[in-house]
Order: sequence, then C-alpha cells, then structure tokens
Amino acid sequence: MPNTAMKKKVLLMGKSGSGKTSMRSIIFANYIARDTRRLGATIDVEHSHVRFLGNLVLNLWDCGGQDTFMENYFTSQRDNIFRNVEVLIYVFDVESREPEKDVHYYQPCLEAILQNSPDAKIFCLVHKMDLVQEDQRDLIFKEREEDLRRLSRPLECACFRTSIWDETLYKAWSSIVYQLIPNVQQLEMNLRNFAQIIEADEVLLFERATFLVISHYQCKEQRDVHRFEKISNIIKQFKLSCSKLAASFQSMEVRNSNFAAFIDIFTSNTYVMVVMSDPSIPSAATLINIRNARKHFEKLERVDGPKHSLLMR
Amino acid sequence: MTIFILTWRIRPFYIEPTNIVNVNHVIQRVSDHASAMNKRIHYYSRLTTPADKALIAPDHVVPAPEECYVYSPLGSAYKLQSYTEGYGKNTSLVTIFMIWNTMMGTSILSIPWGIKQAGFTTGMCVIILMGLLTLYCCYRVVKSRTMISSLDTTTWEYPDVCRHYFGSFGQWSSLLFSLVSLIGAMIVYWVLMSNFLFNTGKFIFNFIHHINDTDTILSTNNSNPVICPSAGSGGHPDNSSMIFYANDTGAQQFEKWWDKSRTVPFYLVGLLLPLLNFKSPSFFSKFNILEIRLQFPQLTGVLTLAFFIHNCIITLLKNNKKQENNVRDLCIAYMLVTLTYLYIGVLVFASFPSPPLSKDCIEQNFLDNFPSSDILSFIARIFLLFQMMTVYPLLGYLARVQLLGHIFGDIYPSIFHVLILNLIIVGAGVIMACFYPNIGGIIRYSGAACGLAFVFIYPSLIYIISLHQEERLTWPKLIFHVFIIVLGVANLIVQFFM
Repeated sequence: MPNTAMKKKVLLMGKSGSGKTSMRSIIFANYIARDTRRLGATIDVEHSHVRFLGNLVLNLWDCGGQDTFMENYFTSQRDNIFRNVEVLIYVFDVESREPEKDVHYYQPCLEAILQNSPDAKIFCLVHKMDLVQEDQRDLIFKEREEDLRRLSRPLECACFRTSIWDETLYKAWSSIVYQLIPNVQQLEMNLRNFAQIIEADEVLLFERATFLVISHYQCKEQRDVHRFEKISNIIKQFKLSCSKLAASFQSMEVRNSNFAAFIDIFTSNTYVMVVMSDPSIPSAATLINIRNARKHFEKLERVDGPKHSLLMR
Repeated sequence: MTIFILTWRIRPFYIEPTNIVNVNHVIQRVSDHASAMNKRIHYYSRLTTPADKALIAPDHVVPAPEECYVYSPLGSAYKLQSYTEGYGKNTSLVTIFMIWNTMMGTSILSIPWGIKQAGFTTGMCVIILMGLLTLYCCYRVVKSRTMISSLDTTTWEYPDVCRHYFGSFGQWSSLLFSLVSLIGAMIVYWVLMSNFLFNTGKFIFNFIHHINDTDTILSTNNSNPVICPSAGSGGHPDNSSMIFYANDTGAQQFEKWWDKSRTVPFYLVGLLLPLLNFKSPSFFSKFNILEIRLQFPQLTGVLTLAFFIHNCIITLLKNNKKQENNVRDLCIAYMLVTLTYLYIGVLVFASFPSPPLSKDCIEQNFLDNFPSSDILSFIARIFLLFQMMTVYPLLGYLARVQLLGHIFGDIYPSIFHVLILNLIIVGAGVIMACFYPNIGGIIRYSGAACGLAFVFIYPSLIYIISLHQEERLTWPKLIFHVFIIVLGVANLIVQFFM
C-alpha cells in the first residue's frame, strides 16, 4: 500500500496561460482535463494526480492572476502546499508582457520552498520559445537564465528553454526526470552491459508514465536525432487508443527483414526498448534476456529502500 | 464508464510516408525535422477537444506548404492558397469563378475564326458538344481519386493518379503531355505578345507622327474601321507589313526596325529571357493575383484552349467549402465557359461587316481585324500584353519545375541548365513568331495533343481499369469510353489533314 504521507509532490507552477496545462497534457498523455478544486475564495487550483517515477505526484498550480492571490493563499495555505515538495518546475512565458510580475510571483514560491522543502530541486522552464525569432533565441535564453539564477540564490535552479513545437520540451523533461532518478549512473552502466551482452544495437529506458527517455545506449551513431521523442509520441498515442478499449499497453514487438524491436515493461518505473539489427536472433531469446535482466534492474531500483518500493498496480 | 472521445484529425501539412529502406541505400525522402513535427502534430491532435486551441500548430512552426500552382495552358496561371486545415474555405461562387477564370484564356481570340472555319451552325453545335464531352471527362478526373480505396489520396493531383494506374509510363507520359501543353502555350504567348507589342508600338508611332495608314488596307468605311489584313496576300496570314512611304524616311526606318515578324519577336527576348531565369516566380504571381481581381472589368475575358482544366481541377475543387457540391459547381462553371465562348464567338462572327468584307477575313486573332489606330483594341492589346508578360514567366517556371525536377531531381540544378532550357523555349517561340504565326494552328495542334492524354485517354482508360478491378465493367460503359478514346485520337489525327 503506498504510504500517502510519503507522497512527494511535483509542483508545476507558473502564470495563468503560460502553457502548463498543455505541457502536462503532452508529457503525460492526458486529455486537457480541468480537475479544479477551490482552495480559497479566489483561487482555482488544478490538482492532477498523475503518478510518475514511483510515488511522485504531479500538482499543477496557477500563480498570479490576482494580487489577492498572494495575500490569501501564500500566507494561509502555504505550508500545506509547499511541504514535501520533491520538485518545483516553474514555467515562464518568454513573451510575457510583464516580466517583473513573473518574478514577483516567483520569489514567494522560492521563499516558501526554502522554508518548507529546502531539498527540493528547482527547474525553470522558459517556455514558448517558438515565438522568438530563431537567431535571437540563444541570446534571450541566456539573459533569462542569468536573471533566474541570480534570483534563485541561495537555491540552485536549472534552466531550460522549451517549446511544445520542437524537441526542446521533451529534452527538458527528460533531463528533469534524469535528475530525479537516484542511482542513474549505475543504471546506465548496467544498461550498457546488458546491451552488449545481448548484442543489441540500441537499448532505451523509458519512464513508465511519460515515456521520457531516462537513459540509452547505442552501439553506433544513429541518423535520426528526433527518434526518442517520436517513439514516445507514437507509444503515447497508442496508449490513448488502448485506453479507449479499457485495455492497457504492456508490450510490443516490431519486426522486419532489417531489424527487430521490443518494447516491454521493465521495472516498476520503467519500460525498456531493445533494438536488434540481427534478425536471425529469435524473439524468444531476446525476451528471455529481457526477463532475466528485469530482476537485476529491479534490485537496483530497490536499493534505496522504501522510497522507491514497488507500487501496487 | 465509457469515454467519449472526439478525435480530430488535423493534417496541417503532408508528409510522404517515411521509407524503411535497405540500410545501405538510404533515401532521404523526408527531413527528420519534418517527420518529427508530423508525429508531434498527430499526437497532439489526439489530446485535445476540438474547442481547445492550445495544441493546434500555429503557422510559424508548420513547414511551409509546397507551392501549389494551378494553370491552364493559354489560361491563367497562379499560386493557389492552400489552407492549413486541409479543407477549403471557398464558397461555391468563388470556386466557380476560379474555375471559369483559370479556363478562360487566349484561345477566345481564335473562337470566331474557328466558327468561320466550321460554319456557323456547325460551329455552335461543336462548341456545345465539346463542352459536354470535356465536362464529362473532367467529372471522371475528379472522381478518379475516390475510386482508389486502398491508399490515402487526399493530396494527390491527377498525374499521381495516372502514375498509380500506369506506373512510371503514366508518370512520364503525363509529364510529356503536360509539357506539350505548357510549351505550346508559351509559343502562342510569344506570337501574341510580338503581335501586341508590334501593334502597340505602331499605334504610338502613328499617334505621335499623325500617320493614318488604314487607306492602303482593305477596310470598311466607317468611323470604327475593321480591316482585312490578309486580303492582299492570298489568304496566307503572315506578319509582313505592306505599307510603303516613298518620301518619309523616318517612317521607313521605323518600319525597318519595328517589324512584326522580323524584329519585334527578338526585342521580346531581351525583355523576357532574364525573367525566365529567376528561381522563384513569386514576384510574378503577385501580379497575377492583381490581374484576377482586375479581370472582371477588363474588355476581353481571357479564354483558354478549349475547355482544358483537367490537370488542376482536383486542386481547385479541393478548396471548395462544401465538397458535396463539387460536381454541381463544375457543371455550372463549364456552362458559364461555354456560354461565354458562344457569346463572344457569335457576337464577333455575326457582327463582322460581311458585305464590304468577306467572313474569310476574320483573323485567327480577331484583334488583328482592328487597325492599329483603333483606341479600344489598343487598350485591349496593352492589357493583354501586360497580362501575358506576367503569366509567361510563371508558365516557364512550371515547365522548368516539371522537366528539370523529373530529369535531374532538382528544380534548379544550375544556371546553365535553366538558361539552356529557357533558350530552347524562347527560341521556339521566336521561330514560330517569325515563320508560322498562326496561333489558331499552334493552339489546335498542341491542344489536340495534350488534350488527347489528359482529356480523352487517361480519364476514360482509368475509369475502365478501375471498374474492371472492381468487376463492375459492363459492355455499354466499355463501348462508350472506348468511343471517347477513339474521338480523342481522331481529333489529333484530323488536325494534320485540315
């Protein structure tokens, strides 16, 4: 039974209209649903219980809109919200007409985090970068990054520039997820060994809920750099179709004369994708290999104790 | 709990299927970026309710749609606005007008001559019957895509359908006939432009020097004279000027340097050849868009080679808001075109002053029946000259794209390839303008040739084959469509004997 007291939060905060709901919908393959709960007279908060990475729960919060927000909300409710936060993801709209106001809402969040969850990891996403001209993007992002780093002191924040219309969103969230996995380097090493033993061309490890690539191994350079995001989008689309039939996606094998690819549940938090370019190796052999490796990787995940215990499915 | 999901398939742009090809022979048919964007957009479209605008691809991220040009040889050519949602926004009226406008072109100048050659009653009947026949074949073209059920044909144009049925032979032959129509049109344009430029120059010269030269040519005796330019040369139309001024050396010099068949065609080369070498015709398509809006109040409509629109009718109808009205709109457009032809043809033919001049005087370009001093025809010539000069580079671009694109795979391999192609096309135009400026003849040869493929053979043959594949072929249908094919072939053969 998952221990509700140990549920850790991922706060996705930002001004209204900055793109949080779209982002959440895209990453988690949810329909844009509005699960609103009124926490106060003037506040509508979106509470989405999307689980990922074991027992992390994603909460979406709109910041700003009214100035009374600060008074009512941050004072009376703030401990409740900012306790047990594992991750704070703050979204800034790059085209915002009032950048000072954004900062104005950002700082109290930081203070609250500092007080209640000082170990939380902070990520700042500078979003909607597609609206900026291509030759100016790097410059504008660097400026924003410097400002945000400065503002966040003494806390450390990692900044990413994102847009839902290119691969930057996927990459940013992959990086975020990568940093949240406890022993990820060990995982990568083991993945490389696994791949070399089974003679795979490429092995990918996906997070289970979002199909974000956690780590990967490839034995030679592949041409398409967008393939991770493409696979993720294809599988999430497929999962949506499966859910229409009240079925859940478990595994998939794709095979032709050039390659064989296997996508399967791996550990409680991950999926694995194995690509073999030697089609003479029978599927059963690869599937047995994957099954045996599973036990080993599960042990790796369990190393850190109850925090990453198996969830009931 | 059943989840009721509205899936909204957005196809903002078209990506060819990515090939999983032999590893050693990687053909990059689609850029990785475009392919990734395609997958992204498909995925996002599953996430939203139709009311939500947040996940609809904005214009600046979608790769620019392939430039889509519609043209009718001797008609209009312009860049078509393609809509990102995949469904057109044009009302029926706009669609009908666009079809009418694209079809109408310079062959209206030859309609009175055609009626004269056929005889009045026969001519009228032929116009109506031809309209009906080409309308039926156009209907077949429009329906041909829907008969292919196994593949996604939403972005196919008619040459793609031909390729599906006839393989690479279909592709190459449709390319060949399309080029015949384009180059034929460009030759006709060159002849006409030389003619109009010549007459315009002559008008201006005569106006400045107050010369009246209608006395020496057979003409009628009223204030708006109609002339019979070929009366003195035994019925063979040529472009030589027959006026001599014994005492006026200035005019003589002018005549020497401004001759319809000897010099003016070459002056056009300097003007138009550079324009043909441009990489992109978007500069000219802007003029054409202006031209379309100005068409209505213009003196003469711009008509086209017979009723030819089969190469781009699918694209034009795709933008129709109510797709179920496509057939009806097509019929209405054809009816309008037929009526226009009849009207102009009958009007010119019937009002040609027959007692002083015989009907044989009607020129292949009926504007030639007006002297160069006539104000109205001068204005008409100027407008037509301008319009043709803007359409000519666009036609050149389309010919270049089709030919070089298929032979070299690149629509602009190098300036030399393009220059050589342009020199060949322009050279053909100049030679025709000098030695065989019978636009009626050129129109009928190139029209019969390209019409043979696109109007008669392909639609009928494809219909027969698709019916045969579905095993719905009956004897009456087979006979009827074979008859159409025979008509088309006969139409071409008979041109050489008349």
